[in-house]
Amino acid sequence: MFFSDEFEARFADMLTHYPTRRSTLVPTLLYAQDEIGYLSDEVVAELAQRLDLNELEVRNVISYYSMLVTKPRGKYNIQVCTNIACMLKGGEELLDHCKHKLGIGHKETTPDGEFSLEEVECIGACSWAPAIQVNYDFHENLTVQKMDEVLDDYKKKGGEIL
Amino acid sequence: MADLTLTVDGKKLTAPAGTLLIEACKSVGIEVPSFCYYPNLSLQGACRMCLVKIEKMPKLQTACTTVISEGMVVATDSDEVRQARKSMVELLLGNHPLDCPVCDAGGECELQDMAFSYGAAESKFMEAKNHKDEQQWSPVVYFDRPRCILCYRCVRVCGEGMDVWALGVQNRGVSSVIAPNKQDHLECEECGMCIDICPVGALTSGAYRYKTRPWEMNHIGTTCTHCADGCKTTLGVRRSDTGMEIVRGDNRDKSGINNDFLCIKGRYAFDFAHSTERLTQPLIRKDGKLSPATWEEAFALAGKNFAEIRTAHGGEAIGVVGSSRTTNEENYLLSKFARMVLGTNNVDHHRTADFPALAAALRGKSGQTASMRDVLSAPAILLIGNNPTEQHPLLAWQIRSNVRLRRAKLYVVNSQPIKLRRQAAGFAQIPAGAEAHAVAFLAGDDAALDHLVHQSATRESLLALRDKLRAETGLVVAFSSEIRGADVARLVHSKFAGAKFIALADYANSRGAADMGLYPDLLPGYEPLTTDSRFAQEWGTLPTVPGLTVPAMAAAAKAGTLKALYVVGANPVARFGLDPFAFSGSFVVVQDMFLTETALMADIVLPAANAYEKSGTFTNTCGDLQLVKKAGEVAGVKSDFEMIVRIADAMGFEVRKLVPFGGGTHADMGQSRGAQSGEADRHSVWLEAHGLEPRMSPFDPVAIFDEIQRLVPSYHVSRLDLLAGNDQHTDIGEAGPGAAHDPNLIIPANDDLFSSGTLGRYSHTLNSVMENKNAPAPSEVGAD
Amino acid sequence: MSVIKNIGAIAKGMSITFGEMLQPTTVENYPDGPGPLKGAQFQERFRGTHVLQRDENGLEKCVACFLCAAACPSNCIYIEAAENTAEQRISGAERYAKVYNIDYNRCIFCGYCVEACPTDAITHGHGFESATFNASALVYRKEQMLSPTPAHMGSNSVFNHADVEAGAPALPQAGS
Repeated sequence: MFFSDEFEARFADMLTHYPTRRSTLVPTLLYAQDEIGYLSDEVVAELAQRLDLNELEVRNVISYYSMLVTKPRGKYNIQVCTNIACMLKGGEELLDHCKHKLGIGHKETTPDGEFSLEEVECIGACSWAPAIQVNYDFHENLTVQKMDEVLDDYKKKGGEIL
Repeated sequence: MADLTLTVDGKKLTAPAGTLLIEACKSVGIEVPSFCYYPNLSLQGACRMCLVKIEKMPKLQTACTTVISEGMVVATDSDEVRQARKSMVELLLGNHPLDCPVCDAGGECELQDMAFSYGAAESKFMEAKNHKDEQQWSPVVYFDRPRCILCYRCVRVCGEGMDVWALGVQNRGVSSVIAPNKQDHLECEECGMCIDICPVGALTSGAYRYKTRPWEMNHIGTTCTHCADGCKTTLGVRRSDTGMEIVRGDNRDKSGINNDFLCIKGRYAFDFAHSTERLTQPLIRKDGKLSPATWEEAFALAGKNFAEIRTAHGGEAIGVVGSSRTTNEENYLLSKFARMVLGTNNVDHHRTADFPALAAALRGKSGQTASMRDVLSAPAILLIGNNPTEQHPLLAWQIRSNVRLRRAKLYVVNSQPIKLRRQAAGFAQIPAGAEAHAVAFLAGDDAALDHLVHQSATRESLLALRDKLRAETGLVVAFSSEIRGADVARLVHSKFAGAKFIALADYANSRGAADMGLYPDLLPGYEPLTTDSRFAQEWGTLPTVPGLTVPAMAAAAKAGTLKALYVVGANPVARFGLDPFAFSGSFVVVQDMFLTETALMADIVLPAANAYEKSGTFTNTCGDLQLVKKAGEVAGVKSDFEMIVRIADAMGFEVRKLVPFGGGTHADMGQSRGAQSGEADRHSVWLEAHGLEPRMSPFDPVAIFDEIQRLVPSYHVSRLDLLAGNDQHTDIGEAGPGAAHDPNLIIPANDDLFSSGTLGRYSHTLNSVMENKNAPAPSEVGAD
Repeated sequence: MSVIKNIGAIAKGMSITFGEMLQPTTVENYPDGPGPLKGAQFQERFRGTHVLQRDENGLEKCVACFLCAAACPSNCIYIEAAENTAEQRISGAERYAKVYNIDYNRCIFCGYCVEACPTDAITHGHGFESATFNASALVYRKEQMLSPTPAHMGSNSVFNHADVEAGAPALPQAGS
């Protein structure tokens, strides 16, 4: 209905990978979220219907995974790792800096809808700590100054597209 | 399966392979505590209370998920196990509020019991408890998050048991929470199974909420008064200022044919009994208006007028309409009263299934009717018409459980895509109204196929379905009221090896009303009106000309030949769509709980007790006979039984002929046998079971039940078993010859899960749930 | 010798009598004594008519858990529970006692109800002047047994509404 052809193709392909339809739920949810930005009620209803599940079951799965969200978030989702390696190398300071600079807290979005901030568990980049992940891109070995640059870059990028 | 031997706490025991350790322990009386384990639901292993030590296994194992093996050595009471249990209780109590004094589960809470048995009095935890406010999910379901111990019983019983899947688990770890299907509320069958099964007070009932405490109630196991499945419901009653108030219904002791199942009606819809619109005083029409009167006035007037009309115009000028919600004893008594006292065969009731045709078809063949228990154990079930999920919730539960636990095969032939098709091994959607053709086809008439081919039901699929059915042995066939008259015989004679049959009627005692002869041409036990019947021998001369049906009574009243009408617990004006003014020239006496359409046109209205307020027996649609016990009490009403006897008395009839009371032995109620506790009770049960107990009152239904058992062959069942609270199957094949009737006299009740004839109109709970908005309008279901 | 012995015994006995005669009186002058208690003196543990206590906010402490009725050996406590609403808040918890009756025809003042109470809502007060010519007047309703004052106005009340109406002091007094 409101999914792109690319999504439909991926969805069709995914169905061939698993013995039952419901097994495709998690990857399908991720694709849908990438495309729509969040998992709206319509998306939940549509996927439930496609996978022979009821909406409650889909919501149960969404609530289990922290990377699946049911409310819109910013265009750039900044995920700051504060697990042990990053914490030792200043992850917490980075998080505080982001909070201060963007004026938002954990799991909040700026009023212009550009950025949202999230404190996350290990993102597997301990060798280059402290690290953050913005959507699917990594930024490593950060300091507060570097963090400013990264944020400014995204701000510029966002402005260009808009 | 082969038996395995294992040792538990030094005791040797044997159990079949595949048995769960927890069940094996239970079989020798060793209790292993658990929360999440529930028999007949899938295994969860969530609560960790059932940890036991199994030799050669490095860690403690959950007894609820471990299958026994040969030579296993288990310790369920070692220090290590006790310590583990203590810690589990401590962890569970870590976030569980200590609000037992205000919690509805207090006093019957499994966590309370466990804390008492295994827990520590003090906790190591100092963290603040995580509080969330209580949520109301529906008028009958409340959820208190902090009390939840996440055993997932509710989720499983709702999904697996009820096939509703309205509850789920959201989030993970410590923040896991039970969630309803509509985010902040529930949209489901409102059966309350989740509340019943909750080991703590996390899910509580809106109807019972804060009313009383478990130990304050008396519990009376009786039979539900709504649909025709005859669930046993245990009513909790408490003394109130007008008698005994029913505050709760459940079946936690799992006795009765329904095990622990109850639908919304059995669990909550007893509240009609305490409706403010209930009649509690006799009404007599004076100057065109119904005005309050005394019982003496009302009985005297009814008796005088009935006697005068009988003398002046003969019995055929009086019509009698019985109910399918009064007890067998009352129906039998009414049948006897009409024939013996009024001298008329104008007796009828609202028919919802063709039992006389079934009696005729099965005449002389016993063992061909299925009980409700058979549905749970049959290898295959055929369902023709009806939607049991809505109309026969227990039948649907039995079918679902059988399919789930014993892999029974369900075949469904229906004009609608009913919900039970999800359990079906074969489903044929036939055109609406083609049920009779489906029966003809199943019986072997291939010409009927042309009427059945429809949507997904092709010729080939239908033929394949019939072949599969013919290959099944021990089939249980449940058929709806669309199958009537000759179709019943056709179905019974179709070639299904060892098939057993169930005719699906709509009301609690529809079957009983039919069995007890509320027909113008049949006596109790489907006996015809011959002069030499055993009833004629017992009762004396009886009228032998068949009487009038309800519509014929209305026509006769209009024509002026029917001078009086006696309605016991029925609402023929609404149900048969009769013109209320047809009876304006007749003398009408109505016994009912409420001012129904029929009661409004009466000359005398007598306030009646309902089935929860009297004793007797009910027969469910399968023919299972069960006790009805008095639970509630409302001042100002009388049982229909007493009212019939009193009217007979007021007519100058010798009551002893109507109710054979006062027989039996001398009046020893056990007092002469010493004061040992319980002895008098045991003695009276024994006397009653052997028919020796003196029926000292003309209002004692047991006196009539004696006569029923003596004269109706299918009711020759074990009295002791019945009195012990068990269901006894009555076999319609042992009854009389039955009769052919006009099929148009059968009118389905159209009740769904949230409506129940007249009673449903006055049930606050049934009307408060949002799912009820789709229910049929009261005028469409307004009946008994 | 026995005469002397007997005289000695009498003298010993009378010495106690005359000795006590000179001691100050300890007889309580109830009901003609001074103060609001009319001269009555109470041991703190005295078990008189019950008082249903209120908390610091003046709300009733009783949450209608029925444990007192369950513990009562003479079955004299009758309760009907109801739910607090946002508009009408009677007790501190979710539910309260809509009806709370104690039948003093039957009560044996054993104190089990006080032991059983999880919220310290019911206590034995010091009221004892409940004699009446009408037995039905001995069924006390909740309104009669409630404490006239909330907890912050002193410790637990020892006289309930009915006692106060009959002349007992509303606030705890020395000796009460």
